[in-house]
Amino acid sequence: MANYREMWETLGMDLETHDQLCAVLPTAFGDTYLSQENRPAGMDFWDMVVADIHGIRPAELIEAQKKGQKVFGTFCVYVPDEVVIAANGIVTGLCGGSQFWVPSGEEVLPKSTCALIKASVGARLGRTCPFFRIADMYVGETTCDGKKKAWEILGKDVPMHIMDMPQMKREKDIAKWAEEIKDFAAVVEEFTGNKITPEKLNDAIKLINEKRKALARVYEARKADKLPISGKDVLLISQIAFFDDPARCAQMCNALADELEQRIADGVSVFKEGTKRIMITGTPMAIPNWKLHHIIETSGAAVVCEETCTGTRYFEKLVDDSKETLDDQYRAIAERYMGINCACFTPNTGRVDDILRLAKEYKVDGVIDVNLKFCCLYDTEGYTVEEALKANGIPVLGIETDYTDSDAEQLRTRIEAFVEMLG
Amino acid sequence: MADEKLNYYILFQTYTDGMALQSLFRKANIPSRIAPAPRSIQGELGCGMSILLKEEYVEAAKACIQEHQAAYHDIVALPCQINPKRDKYC
Repeated sequence: MANYREMWETLGMDLETHDQLCAVLPTAFGDTYLSQENRPAGMDFWDMVVADIHGIRPAELIEAQKKGQKVFGTFCVYVPDEVVIAANGIVTGLCGGSQFWVPSGEEVLPKSTCALIKASVGARLGRTCPFFRIADMYVGETTCDGKKKAWEILGKDVPMHIMDMPQMKREKDIAKWAEEIKDFAAVVEEFTGNKITPEKLNDAIKLINEKRKALARVYEARKADKLPISGKDVLLISQIAFFDDPARCAQMCNALADELEQRIADGVSVFKEGTKRIMITGTPMAIPNWKLHHIIETSGAAVVCEETCTGTRYFEKLVDDSKETLDDQYRAIAERYMGINCACFTPNTGRVDDILRLAKEYKVDGVIDVNLKFCCLYDTEGYTVEEALKANGIPVLGIETDYTDSDAEQLRTRIEAFVEMLG
Repeated sequence: MADEKLNYYILFQTYTDGMALQSLFRKANIPSRIAPAPRSIQGELGCGMSILLKEEYVEAAKACIQEHQAAYHDIVALPCQINPKRDKYC
């Protein structure tokens, strides 16, 4: 019999507080996900993961640790999983997507910090998330000021390595990122006690590329006129991809993609004909942040694409797997990751190009540019994004929100009006 | 408002039992979904997953369980808890 309570106790978790989160999850998941009709059968796997989200995968990670593997917790799509896997380590995404964790974060961080950072710090310090307890080492990066200062606080509580991200994309910046990846590899080798060889790194590159290709297949199905899957179902897949075993993630995504492709051939849709197609751009939505997708998809529209870190930025572009030396491989990894267009870069014209391309590929009727409150980078870049979309005749609605429920009604009103305006 | 219909939750000792039964339901074309077990009925069970059935499919589900001698812990009825316009997130 599964008994996760004992596991959580061993992890030093605050069981009483954690229980409050466990109590509300079934209702929120039911309202958001189980209210949908005709979902693909392949979603059973991800529903199962959520149903025991703090049990099944944490237990797997603990078993792996018993066999000597190390778990690395990450917070950004710029941290290369390939390096960790090449040293027989395991990566688990640690971004917090629940308001439940925010108050614990606010005990040590200014309130004017974005909810994602506050929730991530709160999940660790409040001892209410097993993934944050299990990770042997956290890997931070310098994407924004809030995170940089948060690492200093988290670093007092858990071993921490920080990758210094470039802020521009010149040749010397790509070379610097390759060096930073090489330094990270040395840290991972020392921490795991395992040497990274070109063969092992190449296997890891191929593994993560396969995962990216599988996620891309799922996304490809959303380009169909008749949508075989809802946006919030795909969001769930992306969110879970950050902490699932990468080979299993690829396997499950490919099996789902088979089903979606069959649905397209059969003309099966989960939305009625004429439903407006929305693309979301902006800040990431870490699990269990389903608020905006749910409001959009219960307001007469469908989300067909996410230009976010929990969307296309996570899987687009592959690492060149033809390199044979570690230096060349680190360079190839750097080139792939530097192709991600995050708002922390200046200039960041590549992101606007991505958004316009994706709007065309996914045949979107309108864009909702979402910004997590207090994320200065995406908020500021929203001006440029909206300007470009309007110049290309694509309707856009800018939204600033957080993890609370308090603005849900207002968001619903604004989104319903936006969808109605799309005709 | 949540509707007045009953939903049925099948509870399990382990998620492997649950996934095995869901697979049988799929093969038998019995509409069902994997769901987190509501806390009010999970009790001391360590497994948080359940299978959610609408009232009209319960008898077919029970017959399928019987036919395959499938493992499960309990079947519990609850008034439908699902309300997509509740706007309460976690």
